[in-house]
Amino acid sequence: MTDFSALLQRLAGVKFILVGGAAATAHGSARLTADLDIVYERMPDNIGRLVAALEPCKPYPRGAPSGLPFRWDEGAIRGGLNFTLATTLGDIDLLGEIAGGGAYQDLLPHTITLSLFGVQCLCLGLERLIQVKRAAGRPKDLEGIAELEAILEEKAGE
Amino acid sequence: MDRKTPLPWEPDPVIEVYKKDIDRTLIREHLKLTVEQRFEKLMALQRFHEELRRAGRSARRPA
Repeated sequence: MTDFSALLQRLAGVKFILVGGAAATAHGSARLTADLDIVYERMPDNIGRLVAALEPCKPYPRGAPSGLPFRWDEGAIRGGLNFTLATTLGDIDLLGEIAGGGAYQDLLPHTITLSLFGVQCLCLGLERLIQVKRAAGRPKDLEGIAELEAILEEKAGE
Repeated sequence: MDRKTPLPWEPDPVIEVYKKDIDRTLIREHLKLTVEQRFEKLMALQRFHEELRRAGRSARRPA
């Protein structure tokens, strides 16, 4: 189980945007999502904050055999882009960019600010979240997109 | 009754087919919750899901 509240509290001070299933939950989706997906800013100081924030949770590549020479440090983040990780607080996907949406700076104008479990965090806006999922073109997202569009219609009709 | 309004983009016919099966009463209930309550509900659902999986594994184990 992913402890969303504890993970978000750990990430306080890190520049990131909630995307994916967690963002859908924030907008009112009733679908089960297993992990926290975030797009993080790739500036060196933010990467440092991200590494320090998650270090106590022992991040490790999700589904990988144990014993890999994986080191959770700034070099690992700089050397990669997207990371699917298991931590002691649950699963988290750290995304440098997303298909159809781009990087942190590209998504920033399309965010809303949430106060969640005592943390101020940015979340991708509903319309942009739908557009990103549509652009990604993954068959597994079709039902989720349909639900998000229904949420958009319900909100517009309020 | 559905409260449909035009989307800000061209509807996708495939997504429109999926949309027919979306439970809008469930959406309306979720929209009444705060964002924090939506996450608390998600975590409760995850716990239930885990418990079902545990029970399933236990039932498959030979006696």
